[in-house]
Amino acid sequence: MTSRPSRLKYFTSGIILENPLLVLMIGLCPALATTATARDGFGMGIAASFVLIASNVVVSLLRRFVPSSIRIPIFIIIISSFVTIVDYVLQAYQPGLYAVLGIFIPLIVVNCMILGRAEAFAYHHGVWDSILDALGKSLGFTLALGLMGTIREFFSAGTVFGAVVTPAAFREAPVLFMIFSPGAFLLIGILKAIVNRLTLPKEKMEQ
Amino acid sequence: MDWATTLKALAGLGGLGLFLGLVLAIASIKLAVKVDPREERIRSVLPGANCGGCGYPGCDAYAAAVARGEADVNACPVGGPSVSQQVAEIMGKEVEETEPVVAKLICRGGAAEAPRRFEYQGATNCRQAALLLGGPKACIYGCIGMGHCVTVCPVDAIRLGSDNLPIIDEDACVGCGACTKECPKQVLRLLPKSKLVYLACASHDKGRSVKQVCKVGCIGCGLCVKNCPVAALTLVNNLPVMDETKCIDCGICVHKCPTKSFIDRAPSRPKAAINENCTGCTLCVKKACKFKAIEGEPKQPHRVIPEKCVGCGECVKVCPKAAIDMVPVGKKATADPSPYKS
Amino acid sequence: MKLNPAQIFIGALLINNVLLFRFLGLCPFFGVSNAVGTATGMSGAVVFVMLLASLVTWALYNLVLAPLGLVFLRTAVFILVIASLVQFVEMYLKKYMRTLYSSLGIYLPLITTNCAILGVTFLSIDYRFSLLDSTIFAIGSGLGFGLVIILFAAIRERLNDAPISRSFRGYPIAFIAASLVSLAFYGFAGLFGISL
Repeated sequence: MTSRPSRLKYFTSGIILENPLLVLMIGLCPALATTATARDGFGMGIAASFVLIASNVVVSLLRRFVPSSIRIPIFIIIISSFVTIVDYVLQAYQPGLYAVLGIFIPLIVVNCMILGRAEAFAYHHGVWDSILDALGKSLGFTLALGLMGTIREFFSAGTVFGAVVTPAAFREAPVLFMIFSPGAFLLIGILKAIVNRLTLPKEKMEQ
Repeated sequence: MDWATTLKALAGLGGLGLFLGLVLAIASIKLAVKVDPREERIRSVLPGANCGGCGYPGCDAYAAAVARGEADVNACPVGGPSVSQQVAEIMGKEVEETEPVVAKLICRGGAAEAPRRFEYQGATNCRQAALLLGGPKACIYGCIGMGHCVTVCPVDAIRLGSDNLPIIDEDACVGCGACTKECPKQVLRLLPKSKLVYLACASHDKGRSVKQVCKVGCIGCGLCVKNCPVAALTLVNNLPVMDETKCIDCGICVHKCPTKSFIDRAPSRPKAAINENCTGCTLCVKKACKFKAIEGEPKQPHRVIPEKCVGCGECVKVCPKAAIDMVPVGKKATADPSPYKS
Repeated sequence: MKLNPAQIFIGALLINNVLLFRFLGLCPFFGVSNAVGTATGMSGAVVFVMLLASLVTWALYNLVLAPLGLVFLRTAVFILVIASLVQFVEMYLKKYMRTLYSSLGIYLPLITTNCAILGVTFLSIDYRFSLLDSTIFAIGSGLGFGLVIILFAAIRERLNDAPISRSFRGYPIAFIAASLVSLAFYGFAGLFGISL
């Protein structure tokens, strides 16, 4: 009988300690490509979250029926089904977001995070644990993407979610560097360095 | 509800899956590569460190080479004798015992003993520093001390000491030789693990030119050669070369060396003690002891001066009455973690 | 803007570089680029698979999915085909081309989920390329990936010996170096007036 504290750990570990983007360093492609603004970053995060949660649930439900030798193609089919759903839903209800995210929506299917969690977790755990794990990782991923999007939007347009938060003088000459790829790489490098500083154990720091 | 599209989708995707599955299943049979079963068994007993110490690029390659009959069964240094035994069993061969070797540093010139000739500013890598006029150290033969060996060691057996000399954990070292190949000054050498006494200097200069650049460098004086009781040392190009088959690890050279260039890894040395059998023949006083550690008058029982005795045991060899015993004393108390200070 | 094959090639190789501009293939980029040898092997495998995948998926889309009105199956079909293709190629190389297998075969499983492969196939469809254009685009993208990953591996080998402060070692300094490399590649923007 699993005790409550360890169950909750599946959820909480995904947010900070095992944050997919900033600690595990997976899901880099969408993180850099779709975080030009806060809305895009959160949007991408939510789309990926939906796929992660849904596929974790289905894989976990079907785990006893899927033979180990063909499990990867089965996972891929399950994940791609949900990705196709997200693709068409976004196309219909959020065409602006759909246009910005572009090919990165179908590319969710090869997001290492989703296939990785299905393989490493959902295939071996029950439905509730898989849901908690997916929720934790999704939250972590979305927050990280949202953070990057917010920072990039702040510097390149002076707005956050479209709301103006900087004086006009700043917005006339913003840091456009942050929209383009060099800015994205620089931002994630600095974020990772901050994460390292906060998480590396003391002895390693002195080396 | 568009049943036509749904059916087409199911049929299409299902058909594709079936087709791909069939193709891959047939391919896995028709394109199967025949692997010698022994190769797989050998690979499974190998440690998987992929260190290259066997001389092959990785454990897979070594297993394949052994199965083909090309490689020796005891070439894996990380696995050691236990793995060699298993590999030999799989191949149906006998394995001979070999003395384990470890890497030892042939240099005692740390930050305190060997000064630098210039301030080096560049990549902190011994190989790169060595390209610049032979490195920042005044002695061009010695260890540069930036720790390239630390990074190449596949088992993390080396760490850089506070005096800028690498310290090798001889229990962790598997003798793969990676560090010896990578060291730009070639001051790391593979020696038998049991070797207690060895010269820790690689300088081919002599006399004053060595003393100018290092306090503990070998000056090529030859005192060790003259005093070695088994003639295990010969001076070649200003450096004593040790014949390991002759050396008895007595430690005389360690104490005779004026610059303390030898290293003695023995945790403690015994002291000579004269027992009641002594008849006072003075053979030990006059002929054996090189350190004047035994005193005594003829026909009087002799006495050992413990402070001067180095525990070489030469006196025991010449005593006709078996009157000298080598008595072990406690381990040398040393607060200094570096093994290079004697 | 209708582009001729040469423009597509230059566009994919330098101007809209698959790695630095389109952000595709970043995970193996940081994983495999720490030594020039492995980077070369990886790029060989990527060019090879990108070409094959492009051909097969173009045929599947334009000859099967589109006429049958099954465009929505694109994601599932493409990824399944690519995964099977890679597995098949790996088995084939292992049996018939041992030397090629030992130099790039080991990277093949790594690139099944490489978003660059899938991304390039999707882009070919979105840009409505012909078979020839699609092939050129795939080769150009693959070579662009290879160019950047090899350059970057050389940089990272030098970074290994540099005295970098602890928090920046590893990924952070690699990202910052990638930022500078991508800034350099921005010099190609607008070359020959091409924009894909």
